[in-house]
Amino acid sequence: MTDLSTLPWGLWIRQVGSVMRLEVRKSFLARRALWIYLLAGLPLLLTIGHSLIEASRTRPGCSIPEDSMVYAGIFQFFYLRLGIYFGCVGIFTNLFRSEMLEKTMHYYLLTPVRREVLLVGKYLAGLIVAATLFALSVALAFLTISAHFGQEYRDFILTGPGGWQLGWYVTVAVLASVGYGAVFLVCGLLYRNPMIPAAVIMVWEGINGFLPAILQKFSITFYLKSLSPVEVPVKGPLALIVVNVEPTPAWIAIPGLLLVSLAILVIAARRARRLEISYTE
Amino acid sequence: MAVYKKTYRSYEGRMTPEWSRFFVLTRYAWEDLRRRRFFTIFFLGTMTWPIICALGIYIRHNLSALELMGIRAASMVKIDSSFFLAFLGVQCMFAFFLNSFVGPGLVSPDLANNALPLYLSRPFSRTEYVLGRMSMLLILLSLMTWIPGEFLFGLQSYLEGWDWFKANVGLAWGLFAGSGVWIVFLALLSLSVSAWVKWKPVAGGLLFGLFFVAAGFGQAINAVLRTKWGNLINISNLVGSIWVSLFNKPLESGSGAVFFRIARGEEIPVWMCWVSLGLICLFCLWLLGRKIRGVEVSR
Amino acid sequence: MNADLIVFDNVSRFYGDVLGVNNVNLSVPPGITSLVGPNGAGKTTLMNLMTGLIRPTRGNISVLGVRPNQPDELFRLVGYCTQFDTFPKGMTGFDFVKSFLLIHGFDDLDAERRAWESIDRVNMRDAANRRLAAYSKGMRQRMKLAQALSHSPRVLVLDEPLNGLDPMARAETIALFEALGAQGVHVIVSSHILHEVDRISDQVILLSQGYVVAEGAIESVRGEVKDHPIQIVLRCDNPRAVAARLFEDDNIVEVGIHKDRQGLLIRTLDVDAMYLLLNRIILEVGIEVESVAPADEDVNSVYQYLIGAEGATV
Repeated sequence: MTDLSTLPWGLWIRQVGSVMRLEVRKSFLARRALWIYLLAGLPLLLTIGHSLIEASRTRPGCSIPEDSMVYAGIFQFFYLRLGIYFGCVGIFTNLFRSEMLEKTMHYYLLTPVRREVLLVGKYLAGLIVAATLFALSVALAFLTISAHFGQEYRDFILTGPGGWQLGWYVTVAVLASVGYGAVFLVCGLLYRNPMIPAAVIMVWEGINGFLPAILQKFSITFYLKSLSPVEVPVKGPLALIVVNVEPTPAWIAIPGLLLVSLAILVIAARRARRLEISYTE
Repeated sequence: MAVYKKTYRSYEGRMTPEWSRFFVLTRYAWEDLRRRRFFTIFFLGTMTWPIICALGIYIRHNLSALELMGIRAASMVKIDSSFFLAFLGVQCMFAFFLNSFVGPGLVSPDLANNALPLYLSRPFSRTEYVLGRMSMLLILLSLMTWIPGEFLFGLQSYLEGWDWFKANVGLAWGLFAGSGVWIVFLALLSLSVSAWVKWKPVAGGLLFGLFFVAAGFGQAINAVLRTKWGNLINISNLVGSIWVSLFNKPLESGSGAVFFRIARGEEIPVWMCWVSLGLICLFCLWLLGRKIRGVEVSR
Repeated sequence: MNADLIVFDNVSRFYGDVLGVNNVNLSVPPGITSLVGPNGAGKTTLMNLMTGLIRPTRGNISVLGVRPNQPDELFRLVGYCTQFDTFPKGMTGFDFVKSFLLIHGFDDLDAERRAWESIDRVNMRDAANRRLAAYSKGMRQRMKLAQALSHSPRVLVLDEPLNGLDPMARAETIALFEALGAQGVHVIVSSHILHEVDRISDQVILLSQGYVVAEGAIESVRGEVKDHPIQIVLRCDNPRAVAARLFEDDNIVEVGIHKDRQGLLIRTLDVDAMYLLLNRIILEVGIEVESVAPADEDVNSVYQYLIGAEGATV
């Protein structure tokens, strides 16, 4: 068993940092990353617009609890299933796949960096971008959706349930980035066309509520639904999409999700070790 | 240098008609597609629903078959506008999936591999290039949508009689026009996304994303702003409304096509749906105009 | 494993049913080694194998004692300038070189210093702060070379490094390779420009259809090609007399008099016996010899003999 203290941790940390810097600069601080910012920013524009419209009315057309329900719906249906999902598809599948398509992967493979370290660096770069963008969007959208109520809403957040709701929404957004990030990173490594497994996963996540209990557990959304602070008031079959009949407690869901993500990353690392340059369609 | 013997002669023989040259692209795209097993299996799979519908129509008119199965004719699905709308909805959804698989591979490889100068340095215009690529999708998606639909209409007319045909000829038009709207829209969208993104897998993902994210964001607009105008960016809603009007049905909930239903109370005027779709198509044409060029300037 | 050699031990690589290279056994010493062969011969495959970008189907490879599946050790020793003319988007030349030095593990200052040093070596300082996308082909090629050199590797693998370079840049680049080879660096070059390969190479490896056809110094390779008589050019004052005497020897296959009547092209099966005979003739006949030189002891000739004009192994 290798003595962990003899491993070059300092070098690996520096290399992870360098890979992250390069990745963030190349892929995310560039014009072609605009779509991610748009995807994250759309709900925020909406809530700001709503707040401005309500502020201009003489009588409010809604209440804080109503807005809270609406936000819960947006979070479940837009953020979790669309925004963060497609955002992570785009960010994480491209970490390796785009390098292969652009024929630039070899530059990384020709450096004295372990493939696992390269993988960690790229994953962390994607995670930082996804988690920051979507957590920020979630938080700002939450803070602005009822901003027109002024002090009442501030009290709702600071002394009422709003504060812990906000905390959980941000936590779920970050966990979604962690989980989906790992899944789509490995899709980008394993498949020439990672959009096909992404489509399959989307369908799987969509029908999760209708599956038997044992199969439901093979899903990122299953654990995230359990952690959402506010239940969406829907009736009929749609309720199965957003509500867990047997929710998993947070102390199981969070470590469980993190462990599953770690296991997926280990699979990805093993695949990365055997990566060969094959720049064909 | 003196040239003593001019032996070179350019070709002066027969040429193919200019108007049909863009079909060369279609032909090669078809050859490329035919080799892919997934496409063949999926395409054949999409014929399942028309076959089931045809069987349904046949059985409804076959008294002995009905007696054998112990079914009363009145309890079987009625062959009317709802039937054909449902057929259209299912087939057009399949068409969307097939388009997401086929469409991105039409333009993006040419851009990624710098092949456009090769095409455009011939007597071949950008319009012909787009037409050539688009016809692949138009033909393929037609084979899945209005062509089997018209066959079903023909079968029903044959079995039901001339009077039924005269009374329901509008359904044939609805099938053709409704499919046409969807096919042209999908073709333009996928070609423009393919031209803009350059990578086939990403273009496919973007098509999916555009469809679902736009729908989701439209719903979000409706929920947050307590309005119905978010449906203006919900593509399935727009197309569903147009279909309902083409089939001369009122825009009420439950009368729309499968996957393209309009929620009760959220109907928007049909002319606005046309305008919205038209604007998206114009935007796609603009994108194509920007990207389909012989040279690319790198900054 | 020899720590001074690049060793291929019975290496094969197949791409499905298509042969990349087969049964390659090589030991590459320090100096400039050229890989020569027609398109599809396996030159790039060999380079990708020794740098770990692809794995062999069979056999073992070691580069100065390090296996290619240990990239963290291998790429401290190896720099590879590939044939791919693609770069990460949005970067300047300097950023490109420096970023990958940072990934090597060099600190910021060291990476910057090394980046500028290698950029200066390829004369690209003026353009280093412009975007790579705006470079000409030759400039991109030089920047790739700078990136491969930047960490001072002991093995430099160069896949068609002279592509796109103007004559001046080519001459400078060749001078750089020669300087590196003289310092004991393993420089592995693949090129189609045979006269330049001739000039700079210490040894050549000829490949055809995935097989190593010949390897070694060009003179010894030529000597091994017994099927084709050696050609010698002799310049003297009385070529007819020499020719008449040469025909007496069974080893002489052909003698042709140059049109200026001052030279002979001799084709012989035994070059040592021919030189002995020539010495006797010079002394007996009393001829003034201007020069004696081999006419086909170069890569181009060996290529034609062993691989042929159409690229098939002869």
